[in-house]
Amino acid sequence: MKKKRITEKSVEKVYDRIKISGKNKKMPTILLAAVLGLGALATGCGKSPAVSEPAGRNTGVSTEEAVTIGKDSTEQKKVTINFWHHYSAQSPENETLMNVLIPKFESENPDIKVNAVSHEWADLHDKILISAKSETLPDVARLDSAWIPEFEKMGILTTLNQEITDYEAIAVTLLESAMSTAQIDGNSYGLALNTNTKILFYNVQVFREAGLEVPKTMEEFAVTCKALSGTNHSGQQIWGYEEPALSGWNLCPFIWSFGGELTNPEQTKASGYLNGPKTVAAIDMLVKLYQEQAITGWNSGDIPMTDGFGTGRYAMILDGPWKVSEMKGSYPDFEYATAALPAGEAGSHSVLGGEDISMFVGAQKEEAWKFMQFMTGTYAQEEMAKCGQIPVNKEALESDTVKNADFAPFIEEIKMAKSRPTVANWSEIDSELSAAVISIMNGEKSTQETMDELAVKVDALLAD
Amino acid sequence: MNRKVSNGMQIAILLLPGILIFGIFTIYPIVKLFIMSFFKWDFGSIFEQTFIGWRNYADVVTDKYFQTAFANSLIYTAVTVPGQMLIGLLVALMIHSIPKCRIGFRVLYYLPVITSWVIASLVFKYIFNTEGLLNYFLTNVLRITEQNIRWLDSRWGGMAISMLLGIWKGIGWNMVVFLAALQTVPHELYEVASLDGAGSIRKFFSVTLPSIKGTALFALVMLTIGGFNVFTSIKMITNGEPGHKTETVLTWMYYKAFSTGKFGYSAALSFIIAAALAVLAALQFRVMHNKEQKPGRDGL
Repeated sequence: MKKKRITEKSVEKVYDRIKISGKNKKMPTILLAAVLGLGALATGCGKSPAVSEPAGRNTGVSTEEAVTIGKDSTEQKKVTINFWHHYSAQSPENETLMNVLIPKFESENPDIKVNAVSHEWADLHDKILISAKSETLPDVARLDSAWIPEFEKMGILTTLNQEITDYEAIAVTLLESAMSTAQIDGNSYGLALNTNTKILFYNVQVFREAGLEVPKTMEEFAVTCKALSGTNHSGQQIWGYEEPALSGWNLCPFIWSFGGELTNPEQTKASGYLNGPKTVAAIDMLVKLYQEQAITGWNSGDIPMTDGFGTGRYAMILDGPWKVSEMKGSYPDFEYATAALPAGEAGSHSVLGGEDISMFVGAQKEEAWKFMQFMTGTYAQEEMAKCGQIPVNKEALESDTVKNADFAPFIEEIKMAKSRPTVANWSEIDSELSAAVISIMNGEKSTQETMDELAVKVDALLAD
Repeated sequence: MNRKVSNGMQIAILLLPGILIFGIFTIYPIVKLFIMSFFKWDFGSIFEQTFIGWRNYADVVTDKYFQTAFANSLIYTAVTVPGQMLIGLLVALMIHSIPKCRIGFRVLYYLPVITSWVIASLVFKYIFNTEGLLNYFLTNVLRITEQNIRWLDSRWGGMAISMLLGIWKGIGWNMVVFLAALQTVPHELYEVASLDGAGSIRKFFSVTLPSIKGTALFALVMLTIGGFNVFTSIKMITNGEPGHKTETVLTWMYYKAFSTGKFGYSAALSFIIAAALAVLAALQFRVMHNKEQKPGRDGL
């Protein structure tokens, strides 16, 4: 075939041809492309077809929908409950949950299926916030005890003592101190699931060399701190005690042991409590120790807690059961021992941490409650104890598994430990408390003056 | 259909997906947030928000911590922007005038720009820690100081280290920008200046600077916005300590929104910052424009 020479004219001709038929061909093509693009966009971010109509605040994927999509179409009345937690995906806790606990629960309750979803701690908090707004909350979740007041304020937690008939029967089997983390205004918004607290870790060698005993009271504690600070053999500065921050988690053990309080029992007022004489006395002791360079840790430039303890720079620290595994990992040959928090006038009251298990509004109550009962039952609690989770079930606490566990020293302290205030504004109050005490530590104002100002601020936050 | 309309329609349809995505994911959230900033919006009001007008804005402006954070941001910007630009310009001038190894030096100076903020912040934190590298040198090696200096533990100490990091990290970017600008200055101008008897310094002020004015303005505006956007370095080095004294506007907003759940306050805060930045940018444009319109010397 004769090759056509590509000249300017021939290109123009072709162009004209396209242009003339363009009105007919180009537009539909472009329209098609645009529609396809939009279609891809829409399906990409649209809701999945499995979600049922959001009537009120009902859960997302649940009930029969899961059956028709899933493989077991033979079991008619199978109910699926969604359980969100923050056991990290690779942890022994998650393995126990997925491979031991859930199968046992499902075999005991053949008509219930548990869909457990693992999240990161911070992600879970935000995800619940988002799901609350989009009405796709799960049935049950394991929540950090600090989140309960926030979620209660949002109105998304089921009031257990009012809506579950056998609540009392179960509540009685669990530790009262741990249960207090989910109690607000006399109502209960969750069952305690696991708990923890802080006890004293001390450097055995340093104590031996100084010929000192572990302090049992707050007075002995202050004296010991001073005695063990100064410089060590290598000329480095050492301190008797370390606190990594100055928020409620750090200050409360001292405040409560001295007999002070943060608020009144109803959690409506801080004046008279936060700036009361015993609270101020506790903070004063810490301030004096800081001025004598016997304690440190909260400044940005300070040595981190585990490293400081493991390298002998801090003689004592107060921390939870996780420190045991941290030390095993980072400083396996380090010689340390644990002891109870030194007792003040009011005894030895450390601060409670831990997690609760709660039911969201709109959950499938019966099945969700059965699961919650199971998770707080003796069997599940003992199994989780094998992974290092301190149980709250009284019967489980008496078992041999628990008595021989790494966290056995914490059990006694947990019985007397107290929960931080269960108010929705706690994180803001905590931050104000921290800023106030830091300013006292930096010598900006006197303790009483600062705490007086703080009490006024906290009064306003409690009233919010 | 006449060709103009048909062309217009084709353009519109092709742009549609892009505009939709931009609209849904950028415009809509901004508008919604602006509306939400006039409502009471925190944990208690996650489902029902009540209209409270300018209350959120008033809360932000009268908040002592916000005032500190805003002051910190202003100071951070006022120190790091000129610092980066001057050093960047100096480096660009030096690299511009060397005959060889230009690319090698450019790469070396640009490396800090592409390092991760997180890692760079942590390295600076470990250098300036009370038990860190710098103190080790000062106390144990050079024996200048008796006791370790607590660089990070005070407001100005923490801010100074963050600013140092900001300047160090920005030099390379400025160098690249100014190098490009320097290369557009025509050689003839320099020759004419030499003929008129100008020395190097005179040449710099009368030939180089006016020619790169446009680029300098661009860099100034970008860096100012960046200065207010500082987040990672502050978060990693001091996290706002001690007692929220080293917060900047973004770290404070993040804290208020995600740690205390005060979404209405944070929404108002973000728009206040946007307004402040707009004012700053307008001021900068005005100042540079006036300078340009000043009558220049004849011949140059």
